[in-house]
Amino acid sequence: MARMKFLCDAERCIECNGCVTACKQEHDIPWGVNRRRVVTLNDGVPGEKSISVACMHCSDAPCMAVCPVDCFYQTSEGVVLHDKDLCIGCGYCFYACPFGAPQFPQDGAFGLRGKMDKCTFCAGGPEADNSAAEFKKYGRNRLAEGKLPACAEMCATKALLGGDSDVISDIYRNRVLKRGKGSEVWGWGTAYGKPEKQPAAQPGAKS
Amino acid sequence: MRDNLGMRRLMRWCAVLCIVLLPQFSWAAETSSANEQAQRQTTQPGNNAPVWRDVRGGDNLYQTTQVRGIETDVLVQSGGETWRQIRNGPITVYGGWLLVVITLLIGLFYGVKGQIKLHDKPTGRLMQRFTPWDRVVHWSTAISFMILALTGMVTLFGKYILLPVFGYTLFSWLAILSKNLHNFVGPLFAVCTVLLFFTFVRDNIPKAHDWLWMKKAGGLLSGEHVPSDRFNAGEKIWFWFGVTLLGIVASITGFILDFANFGQGRLLMQQANVIHGIAAVLFVPMALAHIYIGTLGTEGSYTSMRTGSVDETWAKEHHEYWYNDAKTRQGHAPGGAPSAAVAAAMKEGWK
Ligand code: HEM
Ligand code: SF4
Ligand code: SF4
Repeated sequence: MARMKFLCDAERCIECNGCVTACKQEHDIPWGVNRRRVVTLNDGVPGEKSISVACMHCSDAPCMAVCPVDCFYQTSEGVVLHDKDLCIGCGYCFYACPFGAPQFPQDGAFGLRGKMDKCTFCAGGPEADNSAAEFKKYGRNRLAEGKLPACAEMCATKALLGGDSDVISDIYRNRVLKRGKGSEVWGWGTAYGKPEKQPAAQPGAKS
Repeated sequence: MRDNLGMRRLMRWCAVLCIVLLPQFSWAAETSSANEQAQRQTTQPGNNAPVWRDVRGGDNLYQTTQVRGIETDVLVQSGGETWRQIRNGPITVYGGWLLVVITLLIGLFYGVKGQIKLHDKPTGRLMQRFTPWDRVVHWSTAISFMILALTGMVTLFGKYILLPVFGYTLFSWLAILSKNLHNFVGPLFAVCTVLLFFTFVRDNIPKAHDWLWMKKAGGLLSGEHVPSDRFNAGEKIWFWFGVTLLGIVASITGFILDFANFGQGRLLMQQANVIHGIAAVLFVPMALAHIYIGTLGTEGSYTSMRTGSVDETWAKEHHEYWYNDAKTRQGHAPGGAPSAAVAAAMKEGWK
């Protein structure tokens, strides 16, 4: 069985927010809720990098571990989903999640946040596949239609990859080999240091 | 006078220094990684290490996002994993066992010692121990506390204890009810705690003779009679460490958790939850002991808070100094000689 994952290639992401828009549109997401966002590191500094981030569908998911009503479940493809009928809106999944993925429709005064909403990897929820009830609560179930997540499909530069982890990591590895940089996943840049043409560094200078 | 002036001048200088220097430091911290990155680009275009080093920090001025909201520009927040370890670990496990052990100990104590009865016959003459105001404040705090304790326990332990029994749907309803009760009764409890503090603080000031009471553990084990004021040392410990300290800690952290609309970050919420949880698993066992002593454990205790008055025999046997004071204030000296216990205590001396 495939293990579904997201991967964002920071060398390609141009911070167009197309994935964010695609997600909102595909699932009819209300104002204030953002299942996906793009973060730019060192914005405006030479070498800035952008990354599109949403729920990463963790293996040992922290959100799942802390939920007081145990409303999360992981599909056989590794997608982390939850049951909104059970969710009590306590916000604990949001405290535990490293990526800030869980979202809430209300502001949280007196602990009233509404039901948690997050990226479903376009895989819906516990309701019958592609039913109206499923769409209303979780958005479209593209996986059930044989499609991949809308954000990755929509990405103009193909920076954001979503799908079977074996397939997408092969694509990424080939890219890294071809362009010879941006290989943070394997640490190439750090390992091979400066290009040959550069004058030798003074002793004691940082590398 | 001169000292004071010097001190004030020093403090003013410190404040000025802080105001001038702090932004410099944070500015330096925020830009150093950006500078490093810019430099790295000229020497090692393929090496983005400085960028990635910042990913978990999120306090980089140049880390941005188009999505509005609290901390949306933070890519990875590491605190959540620590919070998960502490909350699902020691707080749930040790906290849970502490509750079980204390409950068993109380049960054991009751089984062995039974209820502490009055030694002499009730006189039939009643004395006022708690005014109506005292009782309203006590019971408002007590009832709101019990609601908070029960509903909080549902949130913390329900998944392990109630969920397997009730099933998902029913437990979720219970959890929603619990959460809303907890989050609305919480602020009420905080107000009650403040009122309770001011209502009872006067008679909870520690006195020298409280030491003697402590040394003899109130005669709880020996059965010996140890005189005390309106409140004995045990009650004073509950007042200061339970009601006051834990009450304030639980209330402050509770408010932080209850009003996410003020935009506090995740780290603060995680820390508040840990402290709140620790306070809760200490507060509840202390309250259990207090409730036991105030109801099952002591004959006549519960009616004193229920009705406000106690029999003179009860007053004399449990709070003899208070009894004597009350009698003196009424205009006539306490009947007869001081009891053997008071005489003994006086002989031993307080200091
Ligand atoms: C003094 C008695 C109190 C006790 C025994 C108590 C107990 C608890 C417990 C056990 C939890 C669950 C912690 C967890 O699952 O990690 C909790 C959560 C919480 N408490 Fe309290 N608490 C008390 C007072 C308060 C007060 C005064 C407030 C508010 C002003 C408050 C607000 C909250 C909030 C907002 C949560 C988060 C859970 C949720 O939203 O459902 N608590 N409390
Ligand atoms: S919500 Fe957060 S913690 Fe849970 S699976 Fe998604 S990324 Fe992981
Ligand atoms: S907000 Fe909902 S999904 Fe998240 S931990 Fe609480 S009950 Fe579970």
